[in-house]
Amino acid sequence: MRSKQIGIIGLCMLGFMVLVAIFAPLIAPYDPFTVTGAPFESPSGAHWLGTNDIGQDIFSELVYGTRTSLVVGFLSAFISTVIGVAAGVCSGWFGGWLDRLLMKVTTFFITIPFVPSLIILAVFVEPSMWATAIILGVMSWSSVARLVRSETMQIKTKEYITTIRAMGASSFYIITHHVIKELMPVILYRFSDRIKSGILSESSLAFLGLGDTISKSWGSIIYYAQNKNALLTGAWVWWIIPAGACICFVCFALILISYSSEAKKDIRNEV
Amino acid sequence: MRKRIIHYSILLAVIIVVNFFLPRLLPGSPVGTLLGDDPGSMPAEEKMGILAAYHLDKPLWEQFLLYLKDLFTLNWGDSYSKRQPIFQLIGAGVGWTVLLATANLVISSVVGTVLGAVSAMKRKKRHDLPIVLGTTMVSSLPSFWVAIFLVAIFGVRLGWFPIYGAYSMWGEHTGLAAVGDVLWHMVLPVTTMVITSLMMFFTTSRFGVLNAINQDYVRMARMRGIPNHRINLWYIMRNTMVPIFTIVMMDVGYLLSGSVLIETVFSYPGLGTLMYSAVSARDYPLIQYCFLLSSFVTILALFLADTLYHKVDPLMEVADAQ
Repeated sequence: MRSKQIGIIGLCMLGFMVLVAIFAPLIAPYDPFTVTGAPFESPSGAHWLGTNDIGQDIFSELVYGTRTSLVVGFLSAFISTVIGVAAGVCSGWFGGWLDRLLMKVTTFFITIPFVPSLIILAVFVEPSMWATAIILGVMSWSSVARLVRSETMQIKTKEYITTIRAMGASSFYIITHHVIKELMPVILYRFSDRIKSGILSESSLAFLGLGDTISKSWGSIIYYAQNKNALLTGAWVWWIIPAGACICFVCFALILISYSSEAKKDIRNEV
Repeated sequence: MRKRIIHYSILLAVIIVVNFFLPRLLPGSPVGTLLGDDPGSMPAEEKMGILAAYHLDKPLWEQFLLYLKDLFTLNWGDSYSKRQPIFQLIGAGVGWTVLLATANLVISSVVGTVLGAVSAMKRKKRHDLPIVLGTTMVSSLPSFWVAIFLVAIFGVRLGWFPIYGAYSMWGEHTGLAAVGDVLWHMVLPVTTMVITSLMMFFTTSRFGVLNAINQDYVRMARMRGIPNHRINLWYIMRNTMVPIFTIVMMDVGYLLSGSVLIETVFSYPGLGTLMYSAVSARDYPLIQYCFLLSSFVTILALFLADTLYHKVDPLMEVADAQ
């Protein structure tokens, strides 16, 4: 019961951010792409969080940044979950040479140095929100695949599955009708975890100046602030802190959600 | 053992190959990126000179062989943004990165394990939820943000620690004073790294101890009247070490490569900062060698950890023997 409430709190927090992203043009007081004030203004009634180095409103940038973060987070998580579940289920269900092959590929992706690979891909691929999401998704499915594989192997030995198989149901039918259903808690847990990692990675890339430099994202706000020496002028209080706080807020919401979806399975709550 | 060597060699080979083909396969020719946005304004001889220096005037397979030859003979050419041999630049960076990562690994594994074990042994059930949620929260703070925060407060506002570099640029330190100076500069970067990686050790250690504490063999040891501190250390902790070592193994690569972000904030002269400045200057050859080197270091660390892991975990030893 308790874990359910926690999950609902998380969903509300996430839902709030989703609404902010959808209604960004209504919420943001200015267009974040146009110059609406003097550069480096301190917070005031007109600009709640001041203005950046070229006079754009930082609060509006934050509101629009929600879009980038959420889209990249969801899309990358979706891609990695789909690949991971497909590979994991095939591997765990069919076994044999397919399992060995898929696990080789999975181990390979697990041992690839993550951050340098992200950087090199981001350097050579035309930077855009979509490219970032696809790169992140393709690079991070391996942990999902491993978990799904071991779960599938356990499900496969369940009695009712054996019964259905004996009755002549095809593998495809059993997988789509029963295995996926049983896997759902694990998939949801990994999915929200992957959204979190996707958002963190996106902001890290943007912070390194590797995102789309034109679009607004929380990471790129911090990147510009850092580059314009906001640390030394004291502007970091309204320029860097809120952007990071937004990242933390979304991550915390997702942690709450994955905590509650995991609670049924995790021994941590039983011992 | 042989299997592991083969696996990591293949991994390395794939990365070397990808590193060669990636800039050539993607849209936009490497010629264009090397020559900059406006190759038209460049004299023809100069253009040919640059192309020849990177072997871009030869067929692809020949380029590949030359790339391999250059790679293994350490003839990596010059970085055009820094005007120095790439090998020298990277050689200088690797040491600092490894220093930071090692310090982080040692501190966060020891501190995290001890804290996790203590919190499990002195457990109160109603504190569980805040502990679990709090630790996951801290571990998912963006590392670069934590770094900026620490710089702003302890570096700029309070002025306690240096905010830049790995050693004092103008101070003449020798012997112990120089070591002290380097340690002094490590405080903030290492603190950042420890904050973001401490929690996984904490959580695993806590979880492991909670699991072990109710086991029959622990109860039996208590009944036999073995002193508590001995049970804690030799009965419970011994079993907890294996999962902790597993995370060290899984994350050693991440710890190494993740330092890019933190180094950037502190302008720490490691591989990460080098890679960052190469990216900002679009110095493609330097980016590629930084990528190769950091991948190489990561894979080496993974390989060492993997090998050690098979020595530490008795279950793995059995599996190996079969």
